[in-house]
Amino acid sequence: MNDHSIEHKIAFLGNPNVGKSSLFNLLTHSHQHVGNWPGKTIEKKEGHFILSDEFFSLIDLPGTYSLSARSDEEIVTRKFITEEEPNLVCIIADATRLERTLFLAMQTMELTKNVAIFVNMSDLAEKNGLTIHPKDLEKQLGVPVLLVSAVDDTSVLRIKKFLYDAIHTDKYEFNPAMMMYSTKIELMIQSISRQIEDRGSCTEYPTRWLAVKVLEGDESVIETLEAEYDLTNVFDKIKVLAKSEKLDLNVELSKSKYSALHKIVASSVAGFTDFQESRSDKVDKIILNKFWSYPILIAIYAVFFLITFYASTPIINGIDLGISKFSFLVENWLININSPAILTSLIVNGIIAGIAAVLLFIPIIIIFYALIAIMEDSGYLARSAFIMDRVMGKFGLQGTAFLSMVMGFGCNVAGIMATRTIKNEKDRISMIITNSFLPCAARLGVIAFLTGIFFEPWLAALLMLTLYGFSIFLVLASSLLFGLFFKKSDPLPLILEIPEYRRPRLRNIFHLTWTRAGIFIKKAGTFIFLASLFIWLMSSIPFGAPPERTIAGYLGRGISYVTEPLLGLDWKMVIPLIFGIPAKEAIISALGILYSTGGSIIEVIKASWSIPQAISFLLFQLTYAPCFASLAAIRTETKSWKLTAIGFFYPLIVTILSTTVVFQILKLVI
Amino acid sequence: MNQLFRLIDVDVNKIVLVKEISAGHKAQRFLADLGIHEGEKIRITKNDVGPIIVEIKGTRVAVGRGLASKISVLMEE
Repeated sequence: MNDHSIEHKIAFLGNPNVGKSSLFNLLTHSHQHVGNWPGKTIEKKEGHFILSDEFFSLIDLPGTYSLSARSDEEIVTRKFITEEEPNLVCIIADATRLERTLFLAMQTMELTKNVAIFVNMSDLAEKNGLTIHPKDLEKQLGVPVLLVSAVDDTSVLRIKKFLYDAIHTDKYEFNPAMMMYSTKIELMIQSISRQIEDRGSCTEYPTRWLAVKVLEGDESVIETLEAEYDLTNVFDKIKVLAKSEKLDLNVELSKSKYSALHKIVASSVAGFTDFQESRSDKVDKIILNKFWSYPILIAIYAVFFLITFYASTPIINGIDLGISKFSFLVENWLININSPAILTSLIVNGIIAGIAAVLLFIPIIIIFYALIAIMEDSGYLARSAFIMDRVMGKFGLQGTAFLSMVMGFGCNVAGIMATRTIKNEKDRISMIITNSFLPCAARLGVIAFLTGIFFEPWLAALLMLTLYGFSIFLVLASSLLFGLFFKKSDPLPLILEIPEYRRPRLRNIFHLTWTRAGIFIKKAGTFIFLASLFIWLMSSIPFGAPPERTIAGYLGRGISYVTEPLLGLDWKMVIPLIFGIPAKEAIISALGILYSTGGSIIEVIKASWSIPQAISFLLFQLTYAPCFASLAAIRTETKSWKLTAIGFFYPLIVTILSTTVVFQILKLVI
Repeated sequence: MNQLFRLIDVDVNKIVLVKEISAGHKAQRFLADLGIHEGEKIRITKNDVGPIIVEIKGTRVAVGRGLASKISVLMEE
């Protein structure tokens, strides 16, 4: 990967909301690579910087509160630290909440010696009247402590110099203070350690750490040990001891760490005032108020969608105009140089139209995710999950599921990936399968185009809202339905950190937007482009034939024997829907090709569709099938072909049923 | 005086001492990692409808009402 002979591996570890990723981005800039941890759907972010011709490879470990095996994130982190043996594990702590964020450092120090602590947001702490003495912390923790701030560029230089010195000189000491527990627990640790040592170690983990994990009842560690040798009598002893002492060992161990930390922090930080009403608390009195929270949430999201829609329209129109001019020029040029008609058609209607379909959706996606990033960085996004918890609870879901729905309105692929934060398996699968019900930016385009043709503006707006409402209803109702198929497991109750409000930072917004919009541009971009070429092929063979005599024409006419009486969809309406299966962006361009029989497409469509037909078409395209990029995402996230198949056929069946009912009723009424 | 309350019955802004958490293993562990365990002081910052929010070691943590009803606390002066 690099041609530098010396490579250093540095891991970044920290709680969520401590500014870990901001620091990581500052250090690595654009030298980043985002992948997945092997076998897991957890993002693996790697980056690097070069100093004195040496290659510093940085790994941004997932944000986590501890190193128990409660989640995949924690398992991945643990494995990385022990198996990949990074030169240094940097714990990012938050200066304003030292005790809480150093807890992870205490756990890591049991696992490896090579720990350094970066106390981030030190500028904010200073503003709050806190004085932190890093030397005192260093002395007591036994590892280097650096005060840094992600808003201050000198921090970057200091961190780089520190990393260099830590590796090359013995300026810094790495003698993590050993965490001593109560005598009873220490005796148990010693006894278990002896048992493990007698049998010879079978893992890379330190013995003491293994013993502590056995005491905690860590399933993954116990499983590994049990695979090697019989430890039943050890576990029995622990159980008896714990019972006789009335100890919940797990909680006891966390408590010991926190009480040790409390002493350390108290003696190295001055000016800490606990339990003060913060500015965030005051703002939350309104934002999270039991009466006002919903109207405020609706208003914020309404503004959010309006800005996305209206700010992107002029840009999209501009791009559209530019592309049609370009396409016109290319077509004329090709005709002038006597290029064969089939080649001209391939270039103009296939390739350029395909690139246009991708380009046209980029502005809306970027604006959408930039606004989400602002909400996220300011602290409102987590609060909207909190507010929606009550509503989602009525459908057996938690507030966090709401966030994957919001993301889905931009692009279902991003929505499906956002389900990673959902902890309950049933909720997660249900939200993955139903995310494609939610109209993404592409379908917003179709809805806006068609409602504008058939209805007065106010009626169009009302219809749009109804369609959005209906899609949300389908997601929530499906969750109730799926709940019947999963065995009732004890769901993990809601425990959610509510971050302090912050002024959104441009750097963070840029990075968040770029990673999410990048997913669309890379993944969906390829699919849309290939789908456009495919459509061109289907609707051009045999070459020169009128639309109804092409492959697509025959296919559409065949299907319309069923769809016309049932759903009111004739062959010219069916073809765009077929083309829309791989990528919904294709629907409008296919309508354009099929109805361009001279004169304005808008007038032609208006004259050929009845109102029930138009509504039937709108309703059908809204939910009928996930695009190929979404299907690929469903497969990646569930790792199951069965669930991927359900993800395709379930929406299709639901849509055929619901659209049939609506069309038959409309036919009678109108 | 030393009466135990359920966390959901405590008023906003009160500081309480956690006495007992009788929830599932996983939930208990998660809470302990966040610093919410027996013997720790917490402040209630929101308690009307929906999840409860408590302040613990400088962080606000939302806890579902079901779970909050399983946390017993002692009033602090």
